[in-house]
Amino acid sequence: MVTSDLVSEDDIANFVIPNDLPDEPMLKAYMEVKVYDKEGHIIQYHRQPMRSPTQWLLALMAIPIIGTYSSSSTEQAPSFLVNVLGLPSQQSTYITNPTYGSPYNSANIVWDFSIQLGSGTQAFSVTLKSLAAPIANGSGAGQLSYVATTASYSGTTIYTYVTVINYSPTTINVTEIGLIGIIYIQYQNSSNAWATNTFTYLLTYDTFSLAITLPPGAIATFGVALSFSG
Amino acid sequence: MMIGKGVDEVNIRMPEDAYERGNYVFSAYLTAVVRDSKGNIIKVHRQRSHSPTANFLWLFLPLTWYNNSGSSYTITNVTGGTCSYEAGLGGNAQDISYPSNNPEAKLPTYLAVIQVGSGSQSNPYSATRLAAPISNGSGSGQLVYNSLSVPTTIAINGNSAYFYIVQSYSNVSGATINITEVGIFLQLVLQTYTNTASTNCGQVLLWYDVFSSPISVPNNGSVTIYYTFMVNP
Repeated sequence: MVTSDLVSEDDIANFVIPNDLPDEPMLKAYMEVKVYDKEGHIIQYHRQPMRSPTQWLLALMAIPIIGTYSSSSTEQAPSFLVNVLGLPSQQSTYITNPTYGSPYNSANIVWDFSIQLGSGTQAFSVTLKSLAAPIANGSGAGQLSYVATTASYSGTTIYTYVTVINYSPTTINVTEIGLIGIIYIQYQNSSNAWATNTFTYLLTYDTFSLAITLPPGAIATFGVALSFSG
Repeated sequence: MMIGKGVDEVNIRMPEDAYERGNYVFSAYLTAVVRDSKGNIIKVHRQRSHSPTANFLWLFLPLTWYNNSGSSYTITNVTGGTCSYEAGLGGNAQDISYPSNNPEAKLPTYLAVIQVGSGSQSNPYSATRLAAPISNGSGSGQLVYNSLSVPTTIAINGNSAYFYIVQSYSNVSGATINITEVGIFLQLVLQTYTNTASTNCGQVLLWYDVFSSPISVPNNGSVTIYYTFMVNP
């Protein structure tokens, strides 16, 4: 789209966030749930759009774009990573022989996704950090056993799903779901052993339009799909 | 709610009925502001950006995917060189380098350039370079690549959040230059945290777009390009 009129410097800020361009999504997302009874029969299937990415999803996506160093000549992380994600500007690591400037030990970064389920609800905010009432991992009352998190990738869609089992003696209703991002910075600690500095973020938050009901013994799979245009 | 007919595998296809038109959770925008030789704005071009490349998506994949699949991805850089990426934990995993207090371990991964070009290509997902890059310089057909700006934070407006990266270019070539394509390049280094192994992957194309109409930069003029990334637009 090309503007017909000249604009002033003050207008530029408005143009970098256009709200008048045709709807052409770059990322679409949805959630999918399958619930099986203890005999393995599917008893509930639910699918709905994912509506609520937080600023942490945006920040995580920024890492492969802006990188982990502020420039080619500094040993400092971009201030964006420090200010938004709370990552260290420089990861302290064990230097084998600083007198001689030993090249050994540095740091690197990697991230992972998981899914958290909850039994509450709350208004969405782009700065949300947690679910309203997370369902803990376990077999006690009100708990679910988080068996495994798996990820699939096909073309331009990243699918993350978790399998849970209700070992508790009562029915559990799942009303909220969050895609969780975990960043690991790997380094060598002061004892000269492998260590990770771990940071956890709520990447998306949604409430189900209909509660997902897991009777005792039920097994369920909760999935979140992020589909990029490509 | 629908009741399934039986137990089957999770389907990773994007179902057409599982999202709503108008419910777009993430968007990217491309803005070009052109100035004449006196610094006056003579044109603003805006369009949606569509095209993370395969390189971006593979770098964005979670650790669990690499652990489950045991697969690696071959990254192709701007010169056609390749390196292998497989996210992992532990001493043998070559992940994205991160700054440390070891002054001898400077293996930076950083935003290298928003490169502009005068060509186009139809499959941005698999693109690894621009079709016809405009080189940095003051000669014929060249642009002077000026400062590249990286955000320091995310801006929040209600439930929307965004950041943008910016680069400007000056045309002192003696003639008008038309820009038709643009891409974001990351200088990527993979390394073990012990620094016992590292791979310089070079400059990797992560995002690519073709302008819907050419951006004409007059002689002695300049252009500033903004890439804006936004959730809940």
